[in-house]
Amino acid sequence: MSLRNDAVDYWSDLTRAEQGVTGSIVLFAAVLLFGLVTGGLNPTYFLFLVGLAGMYALMSLGLNSQWGFSGLINFSVAAFFGIGAYGAALMTSDSSPLLGGFDPIFGLVVALSVAAVMAVLIGVPTLRLRADYLAIASLGLAEVVRLLVLNERQWTNGSGGVRGIPRFFDNWPVLSTFPEAMPGLEIVIIPGSPIELGTPFYQMVLNISLVVAFVAASYLVLRRAHRSPWGRVLRTIRSDEDLARALGKNTYSFKMQSFVLGSVIMALAGVFYAHLNLFVSPGDLNPITTFYVWVAVILGGSGSNRGALFGGVVVVTIREGTRFLNEFAWIPFDTAPLRLLLIGVLIVLIMKFRPQGLLPPQRELIWPDAIAGSETEPERHTNQRPGGDANE
Amino acid sequence: MSDTESLADDSSTETPAAEQSTADASTTDQSAEKDIVLEVEDLQKSFGGLVATDHATFEVERGTITGLIGPNGAGKSTIFNLISGFYEADGGSVTVNGTDVTNMEPYQVADEGLIRTFQTPRKLEGMTVREAMLIGPRNQPGESFLTLFTDPDAVNEAESANLADAQRILEEFEIDHLATQPATDISGGQMKLVELARAMLAEPEILLLDEPVAGVNPTLRNTLADQIRRLNEQGTTFLLIEHDMEFVMSLADPVVVLNQGSVLMEGEPDEIQTDERVIEAYLGGGT
Repeated sequence: MSLRNDAVDYWSDLTRAEQGVTGSIVLFAAVLLFGLVTGGLNPTYFLFLVGLAGMYALMSLGLNSQWGFSGLINFSVAAFFGIGAYGAALMTSDSSPLLGGFDPIFGLVVALSVAAVMAVLIGVPTLRLRADYLAIASLGLAEVVRLLVLNERQWTNGSGGVRGIPRFFDNWPVLSTFPEAMPGLEIVIIPGSPIELGTPFYQMVLNISLVVAFVAASYLVLRRAHRSPWGRVLRTIRSDEDLARALGKNTYSFKMQSFVLGSVIMALAGVFYAHLNLFVSPGDLNPITTFYVWVAVILGGSGSNRGALFGGVVVVTIREGTRFLNEFAWIPFDTAPLRLLLIGVLIVLIMKFRPQGLLPPQRELIWPDAIAGSETEPERHTNQRPGGDANE
Repeated sequence: MSDTESLADDSSTETPAAEQSTADASTTDQSAEKDIVLEVEDLQKSFGGLVATDHATFEVERGTITGLIGPNGAGKSTIFNLISGFYEADGGSVTVNGTDVTNMEPYQVADEGLIRTFQTPRKLEGMTVREAMLIGPRNQPGESFLTLFTDPDAVNEAESANLADAQRILEEFEIDHLATQPATDISGGQMKLVELARAMLAEPEILLLDEPVAGVNPTLRNTLADQIRRLNEQGTTFLLIEHDMEFVMSLADPVVVLNQGSVLMEGEPDEIQTDERVIEAYLGGGT
C-alpha cells in the first residue's frame, strides 16, 4: 500500500512535461514488448536499434554539453563522431593501414585524445570570437575531416573503409567467449513465430552493455557538472557572457572545457559505433548525422541532459521506425523516404508549439546536498517587514 | 532597520545620511596621505575617428562613493569598459589597488577586487534568483571541473556556505522572498537589486555601478540608495555612473564630471552644481 502511495507521490511531484514524457515512454515500451513477444520484432535487431539509440543519445549528450550548457554552436558532431570511430578502427583493426592490432581499450584512449586535441585546435582561434565564428569553423572542420578520411588512402583506406575491427570485449577474459558459451534458446510464446536467442543475440547483449555503460557514465558526469558552480558559469555564459566576465570568470577557459568535454563524448559514440558495426567508412561522417543530433537536442530541450537522452532515442525511433511503416499494407506509398520529411515536420511543430523542447530543465540546478547543507543554518528568516510591501 | 523606515520617507530626508558619509570621507581624508583604490591615468580610447576617452585622469579614494557624471556621449560607459577590461585602451593606464591592470582581461581585473555591473540588467534564463546570486562568489572550488569529482565534499561545503551567504544578502536587501523565483520573472528594479546583491557576493573592494537606478521607480530608488550607503559604510568603495542628478548629488562625494572624453572637473556635489563649466557642458552641448 505504501509502495503504491510512494508511486502516487512520485507521480504527482513530476511536472506535466515529465508526466507526458514518462507516459509516452511507458506506452512505447509496451508496443516494443508486444512486438518482441509476438515475434514481429527480432530481438537481435531490436538490440541493434537500442545500440543506435544509445549512440545518438551519447552524441546528443555531447552536443548538449556544448550548446545546451554554454551556447556553443558546433556543426561538427559528425566529425568528432568520425574521429572517434576512425581512431578506434585504425588503432584496433587487423587490416588497418596505420598502426592497427592494438587493444580496443587503447584504441578508445587514443580516439578520445585525438578528439580532445582536435577540439582544442578548433577552439583556440574561435572561442574568443562571437558564437557564429565557431559555427562556421566547425562546419568547415566537419568537411575537412570527412574529405581527409576519404582522400588520404595511405592512412584511412579511403572510400574502401576500414574492416576487421575486433569487438570491444574480444580480449577480455570471460566476456570474449560469453556469446559462444551461452546456450541457444528458442522461446515460443505464440506458435509459428518463435523467438530465437543465439550467439549473435548474446554478442549484441555485450554491445548494449557497453553503450549503456558509456551513456550512464557520460550522463552521470554531465549531471554532476550541470548542477555545479561549473555548470552555472556555463549557463551564465550562454545567457550573457559579459556578465560572467564582469564577475571574474575566465569565460574562454570555461567555453574551452565545455567544448572539449562535449567533443570527447561525441567521439565516445564513434568508438562504440566502430565496435558495433565492425566496419567504418567515410559515409559515416556525412553531415546529416550532425543535423539529426541537433534535432535530438532541440527536441529534448536544450540544456537538459535527460532531454538529450530522450531526443536521441526519439530521433533513432523515427529514423528506423519508418522502415516498419511499409509493413502496413493500407499505406498506399513507400514510407521509408519520408523520414527526413517527418523529422522536418517534427522540428517545425516543436518550434511552433514548444520552442523550449519537450523536456527542458524542470528544476533549479543546485546540488541537493548543498541546499540541505545551507538549510541547517539556524533560523531561516521569512520575509517579515513592517509596514506595507509593494512586492507582496 | 533604517532601510525600511526610509522606504516610506521622502527623498529629502536622505540628506543627513549623505552628509554623514561626507563626514566619514573627510575624516579619512585627514588621516595622512590618500588611500587610492582605483587610479585612472591619461586614459585614451578612440573608435576610428571618434575620440571617446581623451586623456582622462582621475582617482577613486578608498571608502568613498565617487560619482561619474557627464552629458550623453561624454564617454562614461567607455571609461567603465576600459577600466573593467572590456575595451582595450589606446594609451594610459588603470591601476587597481596598486596593480597595473591596463588591458588585462575582465576576469583578471575582477581578481584584483574590481567588479562592475551593467546599465541594463542582464537576464539569466532558466535560473532562479538564488542560482543567479550564486554566480557571484569568486574562486569557488566547484568551478573547477576536476574538483567536482575529486573533492565533492569541499564543493558541497562551499556551495552550502555560498547559498547561506546569498540568502543572508537577499535578506539584507529585503528581497529574500524572491529567492526561488525565476530570475527572469522579477521587475526591472528588483533585477537591479539582485545585480547589486550578486556583485556583493563577489566581495569587491571597489564596485563600479553603471546607472544603478535607471528606469527604477522612486521607492526602489531610495532602497538602492540606502543599500549603497549601507554597503559603503561596511567598507566597499563605489564608483557610479548616474544620470539622475538628485540621486548622484545626494549619494556621491566626490563627483567627477566628464565632458567629451576628458575630466572637466572634480569636486564636492555643491561645487559641481554651481560650476559654470559643468552647466555649460550640460546645457551648451559639446561645441
